[in-house]
Amino acid sequence: MKKYCGLLKRCLVLALAWIPVTMAAETQEGTLVVAIDTLGAQSMDPIQETRSAHAHYQAPMYDALVGFNFEKGGKGPGVAERWEFAKDGLSWTFYLRKGLKWHNGDPLTAHDVKFSLERTMSKESISSRKAALRRDVKSIEVIDEHTVRIYTNGVQVDFPENLSRATSGQEGQLMPKKYIETVGAEEFRKKPIGSGPWKIVKNVPGDRIEYEAVDYPHWRGTPHFKRLILLLVPEESTRVAMVRTGEAAIASISPEALKEVKAAKMKVVSVPGTMQAIYQMYGLYLPESQKNPLADKRVREALSLAIDRQQIIDHVMYGEASWPLPFDIFQYSADTDTERWRKWSREALRYDPKRAKQLLAEAGYPNGFELKFANFAMAGTPFMSQIGLVITDFWSRVGVKVKSTHYEFGSFAPLLLGEQKQLVGVVSMYRTAGRPVAAPRFYTTFHSRSDHHLLGRGNDCPELCKTFDELHKAVTVEQDPVKRAEKTNRMIELVSDAWFAVPIIEGMGYWAVNPKKVGAFKPIPGRHEFGDVFERMPRPEQKPWQ
Amino acid sequence: MRRYILRRLLQGLVLLVLVATIVFFLGRLTGNPVDLMLPEDATPEDRQALTETLGLDGPLHQQFGIFIANALRGDLGQSIRHRQPAVEVFFSRLPNTLLIVPGAMMLAVILAVPLGILSALYRGSIIDRVAGTIAVLGIATPHFWLGILLIYIFSVQLDWLPTSRMGDYRHYILPTVTLSTFLLAGFMRLIRSSMLEILDSEFVKLARIKGLSETIVVWKHCLRNALIPVLTLWGVFMGGLVTGAIVTETVFAWPGIGRLTYEAVIFRDYPLLQAAIIMDAVLIVLINLIVDILYAYVDPRIRLAE
Repeated sequence: MKKYCGLLKRCLVLALAWIPVTMAAETQEGTLVVAIDTLGAQSMDPIQETRSAHAHYQAPMYDALVGFNFEKGGKGPGVAERWEFAKDGLSWTFYLRKGLKWHNGDPLTAHDVKFSLERTMSKESISSRKAALRRDVKSIEVIDEHTVRIYTNGVQVDFPENLSRATSGQEGQLMPKKYIETVGAEEFRKKPIGSGPWKIVKNVPGDRIEYEAVDYPHWRGTPHFKRLILLLVPEESTRVAMVRTGEAAIASISPEALKEVKAAKMKVVSVPGTMQAIYQMYGLYLPESQKNPLADKRVREALSLAIDRQQIIDHVMYGEASWPLPFDIFQYSADTDTERWRKWSREALRYDPKRAKQLLAEAGYPNGFELKFANFAMAGTPFMSQIGLVITDFWSRVGVKVKSTHYEFGSFAPLLLGEQKQLVGVVSMYRTAGRPVAAPRFYTTFHSRSDHHLLGRGNDCPELCKTFDELHKAVTVEQDPVKRAEKTNRMIELVSDAWFAVPIIEGMGYWAVNPKKVGAFKPIPGRHEFGDVFERMPRPEQKPWQ
Repeated sequence: MRRYILRRLLQGLVLLVLVATIVFFLGRLTGNPVDLMLPEDATPEDRQALTETLGLDGPLHQQFGIFIANALRGDLGQSIRHRQPAVEVFFSRLPNTLLIVPGAMMLAVILAVPLGILSALYRGSIIDRVAGTIAVLGIATPHFWLGILLIYIFSVQLDWLPTSRMGDYRHYILPTVTLSTFLLAGFMRLIRSSMLEILDSEFVKLARIKGLSETIVVWKHCLRNALIPVLTLWGVFMGGLVTGAIVTETVFAWPGIGRLTYEAVIFRDYPLLQAAIIMDAVLIVLINLIVDILYAYVDPRIRLAE
């Protein structure tokens, strides 16, 4: 009897193990075709990509150590279901989910995590945060199969964020140690395997990437479609036409196409909080700039008050943008009192041309002044230059004579380096990308050792510059969450009140959707790319659009 | 003839060296790939690390020296974006372009020859005017706009053809038609003017006096002679086709060398841009050489001059 019971038990276990597999396989049907504007380097080796395109095409097949908060945006559980900050602030311990496996069936362990981070920091890696990771990581220790500890150089409060695709980087993407060591890097690039919900089938450079759904339940969500094809279609009109004809279910679009897409009865999915369009001013901390009208805070505030942001939202962005929070702050920003800043931005960023003129008069410029403006758009946000044109128009309405020069971003970027001699006294368009942690972006823009160094540089670091540098350092090493939030809010206050970098609108990522080809789905706030959303997209019959 | 070919080959080599030098320096004037590869919040440290990894940290003259030394060995560097040898990336895309370029050329010739002849024969008539309008439209219409228009009509409205990308024979129609328009217009006007000149020449008058039929006069005597300048300009038009492919391939998401060149420009992928332009130049030089050789055979005066 005991023997039969044991047999029955084993059969039951086998049957139970088989059920989810067949359920997953049975419910996976059809092909999800997505047309996108860029596939970046189109390399399936995570260390060969530098920019956000990885979140389109590498994310489907690679898991990241730290994941997303799918509802609010920002970081959340990933392969590591939780993590702990050491009391001394000098290490982070990550606890991995159990039972995860690579596409070849090998188990995913803490050794893979250590290997992946070390590979990302290796000489052959062109990962954009390689230098930062090398600077921050002292050593990596595998505690057990599912626990890994990372020792840092100094206190790294935001370390987990940097290993999440919510923040941008591919640095947290995990690669299979055993497989790469067995077949070598070259072979891995040809036949890559990951641990994500999609397995690669074919990578045709310059054309497409084809994936197949895994046939077992996946922690990120088991795909509803059997296949996924990402098509590289650089021309937007063609992408829109593909969605209209049903050749593609989804296509990335810019705000310029919104009207056409809506008129053709396609759906528009807007991803909130992907970026802020801003303008910023250079070199005003220099002694020789003190006669420049922009060196007067009242003038800088007047420029902001002269802009009717609602007009830009309604007419340039066709209603698919929102009122910005302060510089680089989004709804999902960590350590931030977003409610306070929402109230602040409604008041401080209001349209008040009368007050703008009054402030200009008080500053001694009742008849305006001449302002040099550098207008350009950055990759993925072509509408920036349109916004640039509109704000110059608003400024001229309060008497400012704008001398505008249009740049292609590639030719503007070198001007930002070093002393910025050609940019002293110039205002330019710029943007901030949606990130859950504000400190790194604040550093790049305002810190005296950063590229943009809007508040000061080297010996030319006035009081405001010094205060910012100190406050920024305090934010990045503060371990107490309450105190960190307090300091972060002070840092936001400091730069908001200075008016050197001013948000214009909070932009979104836009997608045209053919409702007959894909069911209703929600994007992840702040993450324009859908690499972590494809597995959550239902087929149209499963969840029709309302 | 051998000396002629050798001389042309040497001229081609000098031209390629010039092209390589110009592309190397001009490409670098337009910006740094590192700026486009890193996110907005990258630190100076990140920039330095990537610059070193990509081998862009040395002085320009040193980079040029390395480039020339490698180029002489047939190595045009590694694509910054694709992390593969640039020449390899170029040749992986070339076959895709070669799938539409000959088709476009053939379509242009098939339509241009009869239209050009008819325009010349019925000069000033409605046929001539219609053909002239087609030619002007063909030359003046931007490929970019024409491609989008064709997609809108034949894919979106009529649902007859796919919008873009490679696939079965239907996928070739719109890109081929788009690419051929500029050639068609050019060829047609050229054939028309050559035909008009030849129709008025002494030997044609003699042929008619001799009682030869109009068909023989036109198709045998006139057309053969009218095609000589067309052949000469064929090489030039091929260059136009390669550059025209940049636009056509972008609109139709065609993964050929045209789009590859466009991407190399956008991403400041210097090695790939250099390789693409140098290889394009090699193709054009070779085509022109073949045309010159053919021309020398077709027109004995060339050989006599030699």
